[in-house]
Amino acid sequence: MADTKSKVKETKAKVTDQKPRIGVFVCHCGTNIAGVVDVKAIIEYAKTVPNVVHAEDYQYVCSTPGQKKITDAIKEKNLTGTVVAACSPRLHEPTFRRATKEGGLNPFRFEMANIREQGTWVHMHDPAGATEKAKDAIRIAVAKASLLEDLTPKSVAVEHAAMVVGAGIAGMQAALDLANAGIKTYLVEKLPSIGGRMSQLDKTFPTLDCSQCILTPKMVDVGRAENIELLTYHEVDAVEGFIGNFDVTLRKKANGVLSMAEAEAKGISGGGCNGCGDCEPVCPVIKPNPFEMGMKPRKAIYIYHPQVVPLLYTIDFDSCIKCGLCVTACGEKKAIDLEMKDELRKVKVGTVVLALGYDMFPVENKREWGYKQFDNVVNSLELERLICASGPTAGHLIRPSDGQTPKRVAFVLCAGSRDNTGIGKPYCSRFCCMYSLKHAHQIIEKIPGVIPYIFYMDIRSFGKMYEEFYYRIQDEGAKFIRGRVANILEDPVTKNLHVYAEDTMLNRPIDLEVDMVVLAAAVQPAADTDRTRKLFGVSCSQDGWLLEAHPKLNPCGTTTAGVFVAGVCQGPKDIPDTVAQAEGAASAASIPIHIGKVELEPYFAQCIEEKCAGCGMCVNLCPYSALSLVDKEGGGKVMQVTEAKCKGCGTCGGFCPGGAIWMQHFATPQVIAQIDAFLLGGAK
Amino acid sequence: MAKAKGYSDPKMEEKLKDRYYYREYSNPDFTKKVHDLARTVNHMCFQCGTCTGSCPSAPRSSYRIRLFMRRNVMGLEDESLTDPDLWLCTTCYCCTDRCPRDIAPTDVIMAMRNIAYQRGIVPVNFLKTVQAIYQSGHGVPNNDVNRAVRVRLGLAKDPPTTHSYPEFLPGIRQIIDHWHVKEKADKIVAEAEKHG
Ligand code: SF4
Ligand code: SF4
Repeated sequence: MADTKSKVKETKAKVTDQKPRIGVFVCHCGTNIAGVVDVKAIIEYAKTVPNVVHAEDYQYVCSTPGQKKITDAIKEKNLTGTVVAACSPRLHEPTFRRATKEGGLNPFRFEMANIREQGTWVHMHDPAGATEKAKDAIRIAVAKASLLEDLTPKSVAVEHAAMVVGAGIAGMQAALDLANAGIKTYLVEKLPSIGGRMSQLDKTFPTLDCSQCILTPKMVDVGRAENIELLTYHEVDAVEGFIGNFDVTLRKKANGVLSMAEAEAKGISGGGCNGCGDCEPVCPVIKPNPFEMGMKPRKAIYIYHPQVVPLLYTIDFDSCIKCGLCVTACGEKKAIDLEMKDELRKVKVGTVVLALGYDMFPVENKREWGYKQFDNVVNSLELERLICASGPTAGHLIRPSDGQTPKRVAFVLCAGSRDNTGIGKPYCSRFCCMYSLKHAHQIIEKIPGVIPYIFYMDIRSFGKMYEEFYYRIQDEGAKFIRGRVANILEDPVTKNLHVYAEDTMLNRPIDLEVDMVVLAAAVQPAADTDRTRKLFGVSCSQDGWLLEAHPKLNPCGTTTAGVFVAGVCQGPKDIPDTVAQAEGAASAASIPIHIGKVELEPYFAQCIEEKCAGCGMCVNLCPYSALSLVDKEGGGKVMQVTEAKCKGCGTCGGFCPGGAIWMQHFATPQVIAQIDAFLLGGAK
Repeated sequence: MAKAKGYSDPKMEEKLKDRYYYREYSNPDFTKKVHDLARTVNHMCFQCGTCTGSCPSAPRSSYRIRLFMRRNVMGLEDESLTDPDLWLCTTCYCCTDRCPRDIAPTDVIMAMRNIAYQRGIVPVNFLKTVQAIYQSGHGVPNNDVNRAVRVRLGLAKDPPTTHSYPEFLPGIRQIIDHWHVKEKADKIVAEAEKHG
């Protein structure tokens, strides 16, 4: 990438060789701007600002005729730079840069003055003040535009590979789409099997498809897909680089078992784990199986359930006592290595999809509902396992306290959701209403005479065929009680539960004795989400879910170019929405890869060689490792920038004691001119 | 505003009276006033019923804290202040503990009681308490039954309060008089007794 290393530049004393001629264009934005400020006064003012040779206003400068005004003025008035006073650069900076370019100027000769978001919107009740602020903003922008220089974006090649982190239904779908689009895809999963939460569910609403039945074919497809490299029991350890060239360090956690391929590579021909399970019965260590929500045992050497992909045993080294019995049982296959250690591996990818999933909110924190205090209060994921044919009770719903079949079951909705106390979550978890309806249906189907009581605040059945499903469940006999549960007490003798709430429709408090309570607990970001998102430089919203680039217009993108999000990690959503977002994220992630190169904004640091003392202090300051110290012709050292790595943050530029670093587009003279324009009021 | 039906029989008029809710009944200033007095977001109630479900008074009376919260959201001042159930809250704070909107309904009730008092709308039995405090320094003064129990338990027959130190009574009366509490209470009680 020699061409992306900056040639050490000549002194940039002269920024422009021509006398600046700036054009100012003030946008009305309908009434968004013009309804507050005095546009005419602003235009008259702009004409008096030094270097301004042209000023006009227009209703929508971003429209085609609006842009034409810019291109025409550049040609007619022989402008050297343009200023548009309008909205924030977020949306329309590219539009106006394009117009500036069409007028024959370098697109980086454009500067935007934000008089809407930072002007008329926040000061809509102070038109005079907003008008003055707009004038300031224009004067400052003109000062900078007068000193702007021609810049050329660099383009870098994009690695023809992608990574998907998390192999629940979102990650699996994204990986399948990417792979089917011809892209080599690394699918990274921290657990020993793919499948995620969906593989723990019994049925799915509103169609009542068996979850495993629709999921396993996809799991098998993922396992077989030629373009997918399945990296289960792996974690992301470190990330370097940028869109097109992410260098991701993965930790292959020691699972103590060689796959057949790994065995082959080690010269154990015909060996490796074939999933026969001979090891499992001999293992003396018994632990709760987290896949079964701890309601079924597993050994220290285990698979979660019979349908795991890949079918490969894993040793839990935290509980393994290294007795070696499994090694003997495995015999000639020689699959087990009790001394296995974690391994690190680096892969290079062009784009990344994060599909990190969710955990249940620890609903025991809401003490009033008695979870983990009373035997017969369970959360809804536990209920899924208790009604699932492959679960610990073979699908027979029983009360944990005595194994009896419950006849009256209360469902507590919003258990920790829509809660502003600081203990629960302020948001709606979005799928609990619907799965609780499904649970009601399932127990009615399985247990004759059972009555499900659903305590709710609102039933949010917004999806396709969801309201119809609600109708059906009420028709089947579920009793809906509109009231949030105040507290639950246990009868110490019968272990029955008293649910206290208000039936707000009857305007009466209610004391309902039931056999079992199911808490539809809120969901929260999966445990590792925060660490992982930070590695990829992705922001989160205040509730911890990953922040999309735009909630409406860019729901799969993030603030980091080349990193996309899918599924519940971006915010609670049901399976259809998750799959839809995963397909969107995969499509978005495939675009840079198919184009093959990405353009980088040319906001790189540049070294002014004759000012650089070669002290190298900037090298360690750079958060993106973009700087290095190299030998200078004729002896000594000089700093060198790897432009593709530089994000233009300005840390080095602000620091350099010798003023030897030139931040393109944010150069010291440009910034000083802006400050002067503000403080000195643009006095000539 | 509610329309009179014009039945000649007053019983009939009452029975069939206009029960529509009209916008005029709502006083947004009331919501704001309670908010400022109670220092809690009384306008944020979403009617989940956790409060009533937690309330020890609700299963024993017609008092519904959720209904008062609803009246707060809608600014129904008169309806709130004239409902005698306003005085059935035990101020146990169970509802405040559990409200998912983090509202303090108890403080809303107390604020409304203060406003009701200012407007002279207080059940007479509550004001008798004022008179009792004025007389004895106690809302519930000691009595012979209690005294006997205390003696049996090896305690002094009167507790170490104004019962034992009556010299502090004038101070207490001074505080009550400063705020014209007794005066106002006497007036409301007299008024109520006059109207039977
Ligand atoms: S608990 Fe809070 S939000 Fe719910 S009805 Fe009572 S005051 Fe309103
Ligand atoms: S504070 Fe009052 S309203 Fe609230 S639960 Fe206690 S008695 Fe009921």
